[in-house]
Amino acid sequence: MNDRVARLRQESLDLKPWLSMERAALMTEFYQRSADPSAPIRRARALQYLMENKTIFIGDGELIVGERGPSPKGTPSFPELCCHSMEDLEVLDTREKISYGVDDEARRIQKEIIPYWRGRSIRDLIFDEMSEEWKAAYEAGIYTEFMEQRAPGHTVLGDVIYRKGLLDLKKDVERSLEGVDLLNDPQAHSKRQELRAMAIAADAVIRFVERYAEHATRLAEQEKNCVRRDELLEIAKVCRHVPAHAPRTFREALQAYWFVHLGVVTELNTWDSFCPGRLDQHLEPFYRKDVAEGKLTREQAHELLQCFWIKFNNQPAPPKVGVTAAESGTYTDFANINNGGMKADGSDGVNDVSYLILDVIDEMRLLQPSSNLQLSKKNPDSFLKRGLEIVRKGWGQPSIFNADMVVEELLRQGKSIEDARCGGTSGCVETGAFGKEAYILTGYFNLPKVLEITLHNGIDPRSGKKIGIETGDPRTFANYDELFAAFRKQLRHFVEIKVRGNNIIERLYAEHMPAPFLSLFVDDCIARGKDYNDGGPRYNSTYIMAVAPGTCTDSLAAIKFHVFDKKNLTMDELLRALNSNFKDSEKTRLLLWNKTPKFGNDDDYADDILKSVFDLFYDEVNGRPNTKGGTYRVNYLSTTCHVYFGSVTGATPDGRKAWEPHSDGISPAQGADRKGPTAVIKSAAKLDHARTGGTLLNQKFTPKLLEGPEGIDNLAHLVRSYFKLDGHHIQFNVVTASVLCEAQKHPEKHRDLIVRVAGYSDYFCDLTKALQDEIIARTEQQFFSQ
Amino acid sequence: MTVEETLAEIVKDQVFFDESGGGVTLSGGEPLMQAPFVEALLDACHERRIHVAIDTCGHVPRDSLKRISQKADLFLFDLKLIDAALHEQYTGVSNELILSNLQLLAREQTPIIVRIPLIPGVTDTRGNLEGIRNLLLRMGLRKIDLLPYHEIGLGKYPRLQMDYRLQGLKPPSEEDVQNIFQKFSEEGFTVRIGG
Repeated sequence: MNDRVARLRQESLDLKPWLSMERAALMTEFYQRSADPSAPIRRARALQYLMENKTIFIGDGELIVGERGPSPKGTPSFPELCCHSMEDLEVLDTREKISYGVDDEARRIQKEIIPYWRGRSIRDLIFDEMSEEWKAAYEAGIYTEFMEQRAPGHTVLGDVIYRKGLLDLKKDVERSLEGVDLLNDPQAHSKRQELRAMAIAADAVIRFVERYAEHATRLAEQEKNCVRRDELLEIAKVCRHVPAHAPRTFREALQAYWFVHLGVVTELNTWDSFCPGRLDQHLEPFYRKDVAEGKLTREQAHELLQCFWIKFNNQPAPPKVGVTAAESGTYTDFANINNGGMKADGSDGVNDVSYLILDVIDEMRLLQPSSNLQLSKKNPDSFLKRGLEIVRKGWGQPSIFNADMVVEELLRQGKSIEDARCGGTSGCVETGAFGKEAYILTGYFNLPKVLEITLHNGIDPRSGKKIGIETGDPRTFANYDELFAAFRKQLRHFVEIKVRGNNIIERLYAEHMPAPFLSLFVDDCIARGKDYNDGGPRYNSTYIMAVAPGTCTDSLAAIKFHVFDKKNLTMDELLRALNSNFKDSEKTRLLLWNKTPKFGNDDDYADDILKSVFDLFYDEVNGRPNTKGGTYRVNYLSTTCHVYFGSVTGATPDGRKAWEPHSDGISPAQGADRKGPTAVIKSAAKLDHARTGGTLLNQKFTPKLLEGPEGIDNLAHLVRSYFKLDGHHIQFNVVTASVLCEAQKHPEKHRDLIVRVAGYSDYFCDLTKALQDEIIARTEQQFFSQ
Repeated sequence: MTVEETLAEIVKDQVFFDESGGGVTLSGGEPLMQAPFVEALLDACHERRIHVAIDTCGHVPRDSLKRISQKADLFLFDLKLIDAALHEQYTGVSNELILSNLQLLAREQTPIIVRIPLIPGVTDTRGNLEGIRNLLLRMGLRKIDLLPYHEIGLGKYPRLQMDYRLQGLKPPSEEDVQNIFQKFSEEGFTVRIGG
């Protein structure tokens, strides 16, 4: 990496995220003055006010410009959605992890604006509208609610901005306006408001970028260094063209995206920020043309992409508090660049830019943006192996998706074949039709907790409150089927509470928080004259995310096996052991933990239960209508929520102690898989991925296991095998020395950890202390040497 | 365990064999101590077109080896010490049968990888390795795996209440292993470390 990139990257790494009150203050000022009765127009004018008045920042040496805050790592808040309390600011400033600096001036402004937003912010509106049973289940940790602090986002840009500038989109808006049929269409008035709002929002960002052009010109006039002066003039030139007009060059394409990105994430704090999606495919035509015309070298393209990467890293996720911070405790805002996959016509999508991007990922090693391989069976192994070389370095990127499966999932949901092929994955593992779908994640759902409540006949043992329904005293159940039927009823009860809540929250956003700027870029919002948050997109999906199928499956398997099949325990003995958190019954715990068929070992006894849990959740969620003309769907990811959900769940029948984390994603419970990675893959593949909108499988390896070309080959075979079995996603965590130290202290949680010594592999926990120490030392060394 | 039960376990991993070009290795103990079972399992695997390797110490009845040799796809054949007396000292048996079995397999042109454990001071001596090298060159065997001594088993012996007789022995240095690797490579051998 050259000096410029190295410096910009280091600056981005060194800066600590801080809370910027600029947006909150401007937004409050605007709302206090404006009384526009149309929500979309009010929102568009609010964006206009922000874009006219927010600070413009061009950093020294930057080639791609634009910041969401007043300067890098300055993170705005969104009081119209969630107005932080003074205590919240204290927490943000002082918490040990994921803190945001809050200065006195910020505190002063916050104190001033709090009274205005009380009862007006979406968060307040949501909690006002939610029923007592919804609140009780929420507080018990049955589910989380995504929209209480952040707006629905979960969408990814398609190719529109590379074909059309904002001015072209405005023309589309005008055409759509002309077509609104006031005579016959009962929604005509609201369509006109929405479309007018889109046009205002387009103007807002055009003006914002103009200000960048003006600022760059001013800086150029003052600049003494003639090289930098030319760069600034070039920046001004680019800003005078995009995103008002369609980009003509590689550089303009990147800068156009970045301004659209800033518009979207300034308008609202959409979940998963925003994302260019299939960046390699979008950029390839520009790259090819510029290189052919001699306007661009590979090195220049490389540098521009690196500068682009740094822009993402400068924008930490908007600060969250409380449960929402616990469920995704990270600065990452989940922009996830897709690489590879297939083209709209179904052919191999890997191109020169794909490899260029992999080089950038490798070299930049930044938390943001996240990145992934969309691996189709049509993609060459060289692409996969280049990606795995980066994976091996152990900092968590890129993750790997089965592009063929993503297409199958989208087709099953009724998308057209072209829309499916242009889709991909965003956030963590979520499947979507890029540029055409709102796929809103509404909250994580705690499967083991619902089982716990089933085992207590509707009562949450943590609080003693009755929050479920009476499904019978489990001691009276004659067989496993009766237990499972009770679990089904209990699960349906909570899913329905969640869906009732969602149906209100969706309307609150549709009515109070339209997103006219975002709507410009998602087909068919303009054509329909409808907002992104109100069914404007071609496809509208609402997701509930199942958490801890592993822990839930193992718990059900333990009951089936020990209580009903083998009669090693009575239900009463089991419940007493659970309620005492295995105090005085460690023997029972070890029986449950060690002598039970468990998910992750390619054992049909447990895996069939997983399938039944999957079917159950699917049947209760999938296909329910949402309020936007679309349907509910399921996916399986947990981010960091399995830790929070575990912390509210008592001891479980799989031998897990109270308040310990649940299993993550669709991975086996920590330490439950004892037959190696191939067995995990076989078990995980038994879940019907095609009926989900994404699943997440984590695998852990020590660096030595992945050494040399053979290590890469083995990993490639493992990935290809999993994908052949229709797995959706796999990611490899290369284990650090600190994890190994932790495993030494708590072997029960790390039974699955495999290490390689010379030509042999073994479970880490089975090694002697001395040998473990040696491996720890060596692992440390390997990380240092990279 | 029956042949069918074993095959059912093997078939679970067929997708990985297909993808990687891998297969099953029958190992032990000494698989050829149960030659009829091995033969039946070999046939069953071959019906499914699964590649089978036999990992043997070579100290097995000639007849059983002969039957299996015509069926197995690959032999992983241990060769520890070339000197008969030393072999007897360390393993309790002479290497006469082992060497003649290896000769038999070499003549039949069954694919063989000869596996040489590198135990410091025992098998990694210059004399032993040169002897092995000359023998393999004569037999026309060119594929070897070097298996450096390691301490993974240290914890297992006490757990099985067994005496660990190499207590205090350190694994060979990286450098020593590389030198041995180099020498064999220069003679035209295909060498892997570990494997």
